This record gives sequence, structure tokens and C-alpha cells, in this order.
Amino acid sequence: MANAFVAAFEILSFGAIIVLIVLGLGIIASMMGIFNFAQGEFVLLGAYITYLAYAKGLPVWAGMVAAPFVVGALGFVLEALIIRRFYAAPIVAMLGTYALGLIIREAVRGLIGGFYLTVPEPIGGSIDIGTIHISAWRFTIIVITLLVMAGCYLLLSRTSFGLRMRATLENPSLARASGISTPLMYGATFAFGSALAGLAGALIVPVFSLYADLGLRFLIQGFVAVMVGGVGSFIGPVAGAGVIGTLSAALPWVMAPVVADVLVFVLAIVFIKFRPQGLIAGKGV
Amino acid sequence: MPKVMGALKKAIPAEIGGEADAAMESSAAAGQAASGRKVLPIVEGVVLVAALLAPLVLQDYLTVFATRVIILALFALSFDLVWGYAGIMSFGQALFFGSAGYGVALLARDLDITNIFLVLPAGTIIGLTFALLLGGFLLLGRHPSSVIFVSLGTLTGSYAADRLARGWYYLGGQNGIPSIAPMTLGGYEFSEGPAFYYFVLGILVVVYLLCRFLVRSQFGLALAGLRENEQRIAFFGYKAQHLKAIIFTIGGAIAGLAGSLYAFHEGFVWPNMVGVVVSTQVVLYVLFGGSGTLIGAVIGTVIIEGVSFWLSDNYRDIWPIILGLLLLLVILFRPLGLISFLLGERERVGSFDAVRKEKRDAAS
Repeated sequence: MANAFVAAFEILSFGAIIVLIVLGLGIIASMMGIFNFAQGEFVLLGAYITYLAYAKGLPVWAGMVAAPFVVGALGFVLEALIIRRFYAAPIVAMLGTYALGLIIREAVRGLIGGFYLTVPEPIGGSIDIGTIHISAWRFTIIVITLLVMAGCYLLLSRTSFGLRMRATLENPSLARASGISTPLMYGATFAFGSALAGLAGALIVPVFSLYADLGLRFLIQGFVAVMVGGVGSFIGPVAGAGVIGTLSAALPWVMAPVVADVLVFVLAIVFIKFRPQGLIAGKGV
Repeated sequence: MPKVMGALKKAIPAEIGGEADAAMESSAAAGQAASGRKVLPIVEGVVLVAALLAPLVLQDYLTVFATRVIILALFALSFDLVWGYAGIMSFGQALFFGSAGYGVALLARDLDITNIFLVLPAGTIIGLTFALLLGGFLLLGRHPSSVIFVSLGTLTGSYAADRLARGWYYLGGQNGIPSIAPMTLGGYEFSEGPAFYYFVLGILVVVYLLCRFLVRSQFGLALAGLRENEQRIAFFGYKAQHLKAIIFTIGGAIAGLAGSLYAFHEGFVWPNMVGVVVSTQVVLYVLFGGSGTLIGAVIGTVIIEGVSFWLSDNYRDIWPIILGLLLLLVILFRPLGLISFLLGERERVGSFDAVRKEKRDAAS
């Protein structure tokens, strides 16, 4: 019973991490139609900023708070300078963002060297429930993920900013005719997606430690999750991330990890092939 | 002063935008075609002569490096065929390259088969089979697959293969399969050096010519149409998905051939060879050199590998950053790659009815 509970917690916490990473990716893919290959590097940057704050002697949580803002600002600048030119061509956008990601990744690699740098958990220790111990930080990640998810949902569905964002997605020319500055909305959306990636990076760095390929590790899982969930809505990618994260964490408990690892991807691709619109099709939030 | 004016005149249309640029280039190319001068054969000839002479001037260790570059150029050719001509973004081309490498490595390790007439066809067939399976699955079906799905599907396939190779003990896990026996032809063993270089160059030239024939044929014309406007080609009655699957399979076969040569040349295979790293590397080669021209893929490979080798002593750390920046600049400002500095748009697309046109000209 205790074991089952620990397993469930592990699965849940990994699922939450994937959801956190996919949130930004999904928003950019759904709202702008761009599969951002640099998203993994935004995660990496968030992690790096947290590490930097820690190395400078600041508390870890200060870095975690700063990371989304810094990465979001960078995303805004990059969108205005580079990403903006790619909207018409999705494949070119992939390649361009890949090049961008390459630059960021290698720059960070140059800064940190080939090391695995650890950052302590801001909330250490464990939560004890009877005889069961679960990591307090991982539990915090789950809580923050839920809060961020709820926040994003409310932002998109309840605020006028969210309404304008969705209007821009659905019909850019009508949105422009209605007086919405679509370039600004695209910039804001991209910045928002980047900020979420930065936040994800900042939160997961105590769990996975910092190394240059940190972002790359989650990028493909993230893409698959977005495709499984369905592009075009906010809920779709989140649902996909939940499924992929849960599967990747749960399958190794019942079969050889190597097989499980590959099986997740195979299942996902087969699923997308036969249901291209994803788990949750249709518009809405 | 007149020189400056000339440069200005050239610069102005380029500034105005891509269309004016392309128009200018195509008119320039048209002029060249009319006067019987074509740039492409000249470029190809220069590259071939340079490749033939290379081992004579290079030191031994550089010849070994050049052999690797030639093999990678062959690999780049396979990707160029798929992306540059048919417009299928295969982000997992290394899957066919690496699986063939692993296949021949296993043949050599477990069955002691190193005969060149067995291993190279085996590698080609492995690449072909994997490409047929993956391409068939991703491309064929009742609904045409989206470009995004195909590119992410191939990427995922390559990533999954990487993870499988890393975790599977039989394939050597993280370390791959070391010390593969050299290829043999009768009693002769192919070891690194000029002989291997010329052998590989010969294969590259043959494959290049075959590809050239293929893309200049009616099949190639249909492919170019696919790349430009898939729907229109479908309305013409072509089975667009089948064409795509065919070219994808051919690309896989060439990648398999390159992969088996690579495995024997390096003497070992390791998980990166099937994975995302090599998959994206080949994309860089082709984009940089110029997709949609076969020679562009070769030139891109030579330049990237050459510069990376040259810089690796002093600037190893910043080279990937420079590469990323260059790539970004090429994508933003020269989407047709470096070759587009030399080659006009019209010549890049090519003429598919050259014979008929000449006859018509003769008649009039």
C-alpha cells in the first residue's frame, strides 16, 4: 500500500513536471502555430538563472521568481527580432527556432562547462504521512503546476487579454480590423510562453540539476505531448502532457525501462496518426 | 566611382525584397542559359576536380578526415533528396543512417561478414526497409499527413531509436559497438587512407549521378511540384502520398549506404549515430549549402565539417554558437543556402524538357 502510494506520487510529480514544461510550448504552438524548438533552451535558461542567483549568494527562491520575467523578456525581444519573420512557414519556423536554441544551448554550455551543477531545494525535507515520506519540493511543484494551470486558464478564458489573444489566434485579419494589435499580441503570447518555460526550468532545476542538455531532454516529449493533446486549444496540450507524463513515469514500473521509454513514443505516434486532431479537438479555451 | 555605382545597383534590388532578388537572379540565369553558359555544371566540375585532387595534397590524417566528409556528403544527399526536392521534412534521417551502421556492425561482429558485396547492399536494404516502414506509416493513409506531423514523427522515431540503442545491452548500450573489422574485397582489407577515399568518392559520384538523373526526370518534376504545391499535384491526378513514400524510401536507402560506409570507416558505431544529434546535423549541412540542389548538400557538408575541423583546436567551445548564428542568418536572409550566391533561381529549379526545347529552337 505504501509502495503503491509512493509510486502514485512519483507518477503524479513527473506528470506535473511535463505539464509545466508543455504549458508554454502548447500555448505558443496553439496560439501561434509555431513549434518552438528553442523552448527547451528557454527551460534551460530559467534553470541557469536560478543557478546564477544561487551562486551569487541570493536565496534560491529569488532566482525562481526572477527566471520567468527574464526569460519572458528575452522571448519578447526574440519574437520581435526573429520569430516574427517565420509565421508564414511552419517548417522554416522549426529550423529557425532550432538554430536559436542551438545558440542559447551552446552559450550556456560555454558558461557552465560540461558539469552537472546542483541547486538546493528551497523547501527541503520531506512530508511524512504515517510511514510514508514524500519529497516536499516535488509536492510543491505539483501544487505550483496546478496553480499555474488554473491561472493560465483564467487568463485565457476570463480576461480581456485572453479574449484578444484567442481572437488573434482564430482570425488574425478580423482581429486586426477590430482594433487589436496582432503583432503586439503575438509578441505577448510568445513572451508568455517563454516565461512559462523559464518558470518550469527554475522549478525543476533542484530535481534534475543543471546541465546544458537539460532542455533538450524534455523537448521531444513536449512536442509529442502537444500533438497527442491536440493543437489549437489550451486544454489540449495540457491533457496530452498529462497523458504522456503519466505514461512515461508509470510504464517503467510494469516493464523494462528501455522498452517503456520507446513504447511511449511509439504509442503516441500511432495515436496521432489515427487521430490527427488529438485528444481534445475543437476550439474553446 | 563607377565601381561603387555598379555595386549599389546590385545592392538595391537585393534590398527591396526576395521577389525582386529572385527575378533579377532568374533573368541573369536566363541570360546565361541563352548564351549556353550554365553555372551548375561548372560548380559540379570544380567540386569533383577538387575532390579528386584532395588526397594528393592532403596529409594522411586529413585524407582520413576527408573520407569521413565524403561519406557525410552522401548522407546529406539523401536528406536533400527528401527535403530539398520532395519537401518532406525528415528530422530523423539519422535513423536510417545509424540503423544501417548498427546492422553492418552486427554482421561483422556476430557473423564475421565483412565482404563488401554483402555488407553494403545489406546496409542499403536496412536503410530502405526502415524508411519504407516509417515513411509508409507516416506518409500513407486515408488522410494526408500534415508536414508538422511528418517532421515530428521522424524526429520522434530517431529519438526513440537513440534511447533504444542506449538501453539495449545487445547493441552495446551507451558505448555502442567498438572495433568493427574492416571491409574486405576478396583478400583486400579496406583501411583508412587514399584507397578508401577514392572508393567512397566513386560511390558518391555514382549516387550523385543517379540522383541527378532522378530529379531531372518526369518523376523529379512531379516531386518539385509536390514541394511547391502539394494540393495542385494531387488535383493533377498524381498520387502525392505514394510519390512521397517512394522518394522517402530512396532517401533512406542512400542514408543506409552512407551509414554502413561510415560504420566501417570509423570502426565503431554509437547511439548518437541514430539519434537527434546526427539527424539535425544533416539538416544543417543541407540548409547551409542550399537545399534543392544536389551539389548544395555536398558543399554544405564540406564547408561545415571543414570549418568545424579547422576551428576545433582553438575555438571548439564557440564553434557551435557561430554555427547557430550562421545558420540563423542563412535561414533569415538566404533561405536557399550558400549555393544561391552562385546559382540563379531558374537553374536551381532546372529545365525538365531540355531536349524538346532544343528541337523547337532548331525548328524555328
